[in-house]
Amino acid sequence: MQHVAEQIAAAAQAVRERWPDTPRAGIVLGSGLGALAEEIKVDTKIDYADIPNFVKSTALGHKGQLVCGHLEDVPVMAFQGRFHLYEGYSAEQAALPARLTKALGANALIVSNAAGGLNPHYSVGDVMVIEDHINMMFANPLIGVNDDNLGPRFPDMSCPYDHEFMEIAACVARREDFVLHRGVYVAMLGPTYETRAEYRMARRLGGDVAGMSTVPEVIAARHADMRVLGLSTITNVGSPDAPTSTTGHDVLAAAMTASAKLTKIVRGTVASLR
Amino acid sequence: MLELYDQIQAAAAAIRQQWDHAPRAGIILGTGLGGFADRIESPVTIDYEKILHFPRSTAVSHRGRLVCGLLEGVPIMAMEGRFHQYEGYPLKQITLPVRVMKALGADLLIVTHAVGGMNPLYVPGDVMIIDDQINLMGDNPLVGINDDRLGPRFPDMSAPYTPELIAVGQEIARKANFPVQRGVMVAVTGPNLETRAEYRFLRMIGADVVGMSTVPEVIVAVHSGMRVFGLSVITDMCLPDSLKPAVVEEIIAIANSAEPKLRTLVLGILAHEKGQG
Repeated sequence: MQHVAEQIAAAAQAVRERWPDTPRAGIVLGSGLGALAEEIKVDTKIDYADIPNFVKSTALGHKGQLVCGHLEDVPVMAFQGRFHLYEGYSAEQAALPARLTKALGANALIVSNAAGGLNPHYSVGDVMVIEDHINMMFANPLIGVNDDNLGPRFPDMSCPYDHEFMEIAACVARREDFVLHRGVYVAMLGPTYETRAEYRMARRLGGDVAGMSTVPEVIAARHADMRVLGLSTITNVGSPDAPTSTTGHDVLAAAMTASAKLTKIVRGTVASLR
Repeated sequence: MLELYDQIQAAAAAIRQQWDHAPRAGIILGTGLGGFADRIESPVTIDYEKILHFPRSTAVSHRGRLVCGLLEGVPIMAMEGRFHQYEGYPLKQITLPVRVMKALGADLLIVTHAVGGMNPLYVPGDVMIIDDQINLMGDNPLVGINDDRLGPRFPDMSAPYTPELIAVGQEIARKANFPVQRGVMVAVTGPNLETRAEYRFLRMIGADVVGMSTVPEVIVAVHSGMRVFGLSVITDMCLPDSLKPAVVEEIIAIANSAEPKLRTLVLGILAHEKGQG
């Protein structure tokens, strides 16, 4: 795993050459949520192709560039496009954005994703702050020799998502008068959407939403002792007893509608880092 | 993943050279159900090793050949012997034959396999029509860059087993006067059988039977836009509080004893297909 440190150092070096600021937070933008990057006062945009060891993002609705600039007068970097296991990337590759954020000096990671709602109280277009997660991806970015410079061999996961961030998100939602759920994200490998039986399983296991990302990044962020805020947009509702079919484009359309709520929460959270 | 397309075309061409028909359906014959292929009329048999890019089957009681011909007057191709994740094959390789069936013209996949029963209402020798599945194999044949020529990036899985065919299967069993179960199959990697704790876990997450195959093939069939009909033969009961060691010979014997029911169902589904024109 020693080589991971070198990969990150090379990537960090390339970003620093283009953007000398020290970010306070990294923001990983999920499917259809790339619009959040437009809220950022941009200093520079760096194509993933120009960052060593960053791979091309092939996913629908993912651009593949790093946006560096300021949000609420706080220096941030936003990853427009992430790496998914279902694309064939390893969990270690999927974790690169989190580790690059840490290497550049930020101690906060904000991750967002599009997820399928399992909890029957959730509706399409709702936003959920991730309270906890279940890793059902059969992969972990920390497998291999541990690099003690990056973090401990056995990271504690008793509280992967920062409570203060969760509280800020809840305050923003109350102030702005929209529904914000707080629940458990189940990460599946994909790329198939869940069967009805798999939805029931994920629900019985304690999940409120199911998705195909985020967990590798959060594990790496916790390994690096970063504070994490996780946000899921409910883009479809998995109702196993009245199944409807889902397409990638339906998911994107629903994600767009939640974009405004998400932006408010991210602004509020970033402002707390001033 | 883009080289997969060429592999499918090459394998399809190799089969077409020996059997120049468009199959309506592909059938995968699981453990103990190999004798079924003897009923195929005007059979053309092709060993897997003669087909480009096909892996070889190493499992007990699996022969490793493709039998093409007619069943109920419907052109079909049947796999005698399938490939399993526990043999060490990547899921893309395991599922290649399904892609080839589709490329040759089949739009229906019929899968059969032997499973352990966890639903206490089942008995050994029962046949279950698969209603739904849980993938616990830790892998998915569609991981990697998606080839849009083969199917969509995110296939919907709200009904992987064609509801209409499930209903037809239940009707066939009623008419032939034997009970048929309908339930959820969970697929695990194997090759070890489950511990008692694992059986409890699999039951708790909603599965009625557990097996080590079928899920990858069905995912690829759905990705390809094929309709699917799945049958599980319950060869032993996996009740964690009265668990006995499994004996492979007994499992195969029970699978063979269930063959008449299985045959009735598969032939009935094909007759239904023929009736649909």
